[in-house]
Amino acid sequence: MIETCNDTHCITCSDEGVAMRVLGLGSDGLASCVDDNGRWERIMTDLVSPVSPGDSVLVHAGVALVRLEPEARRA
Amino acid sequence: MRFVDEFRDAELGRALAAEILSVVEPGRHYKVMEVCGGHTHTIYKYGVDDLLPESVELVHGPGCPVCVIPMGRVDDGIAVAMEPGVIFTCFGDMMRVPGGDGTLLDAKAEGADIRMVYSPLDALRVARENPERDVVFFAVGFETTAPSTALTLMRAKAEGISNFFVFCNHVTIVPPLKALLESPDLRLDGFVGPGHVATVVGARPFEFIPSAYERPIVISGFEPLDVLQSVHMILRQIAEGRCEVENQYKRVVPYEGNPQALRVLAEVFELRPHFEWRGLGFISHSGLRLSSAYADFDAEVRYRVPGVRVADPKACQCGEVLKGVIKPWECKVFGTACTPERPIGTCMVSSEGACAAYYNFGRFVREKVEVLA
Repeated sequence: MIETCNDTHCITCSDEGVAMRVLGLGSDGLASCVDDNGRWERIMTDLVSPVSPGDSVLVHAGVALVRLEPEARRA
Repeated sequence: MRFVDEFRDAELGRALAAEILSVVEPGRHYKVMEVCGGHTHTIYKYGVDDLLPESVELVHGPGCPVCVIPMGRVDDGIAVAMEPGVIFTCFGDMMRVPGGDGTLLDAKAEGADIRMVYSPLDALRVARENPERDVVFFAVGFETTAPSTALTLMRAKAEGISNFFVFCNHVTIVPPLKALLESPDLRLDGFVGPGHVATVVGARPFEFIPSAYERPIVISGFEPLDVLQSVHMILRQIAEGRCEVENQYKRVVPYEGNPQALRVLAEVFELRPHFEWRGLGFISHSGLRLSSAYADFDAEVRYRVPGVRVADPKACQCGEVLKGVIKPWECKVFGTACTPERPIGTCMVSSEGACAAYYNFGRFVREKVEVLA
């Protein structure tokens, strides 16, 4: 079964920014992150490092592109 | 929903709509292009266009990375996927994008080992788990997804993984905007700029739009009020005789972008002399390939790809939709022969594609016009 695009996320290209919160850092350099819907993902944070648990980041295709200030999570 | 309600507030939307009405010049028609497919999706999901006066027309740009992939590149990907022993990985619905001779899904049905992944990092994990086989990742996307591919390749290199390859179809946003501005059949008054691409490249690369072409551009967020406010900012610039790059999405986008991301992209990729875009033809320095330092990971070096240019189906008008020359419902096959379930053109596959956005949110303007007539 092929998952299809829904109205909040394009899985064709995975090109959607998702605000996520850092939960912790693994020994492999990947960060455990969770979004507002409780979806959990391992994220590369090389482009916004250093990050700490509690930080918010904008994630595209498994990479944090920018650190979000608290008020920026409002969209 | 948490955090987003204030960016979807109907009262604020109506107030912004009234402000837009106050800055439009009577009798003038405005064409504003939203560059990014994410904006197209927002506009039709939330009905942003219904809040605009008739004189303000939103034109959908080439910012859906799947929609701009030419059929020949899909065929090239299928050719690599059919190589003996290859595990071919791609994002979900990429499997349904039609090439000249079927889709990746068809190739999978014929026996090719094609697997869906959520990120290049997933593809690298598949390579680690299958060291005896070549694992190829079909990389698509603009500057938002290219850093993910780049960082994954840097990891693969650092770990000494030798069975991971990338079939690179990454593209950059600025060259097609230049091509559109040079296009004689399209006169645009301003641009809603791509918010998340700008988190990487910043706002500076878009300065040529006001300086060389005298058009305003506003970097925009993706909530309905973001888009509405950005349209207002563009129209206000026009009304005040200004022409500049403005950043509506300051809460996320730094004007300088992400310098570390730009360094990573420069290390892993280099510009191709030219790259074909669906509907726009060949555009110079608009596509990325792996740099010589990463040639060992390049699927186009590892395998011979046919590289044949395939013309779009005659009935398909994706090219004109991508250039904003026609609306999706004006295409001859929209909603009849071409639907999200059985797409003929790329614009109907991805949720960010203009045709899929129209279709999924019931924008059958053609029917509406017939009823009114």
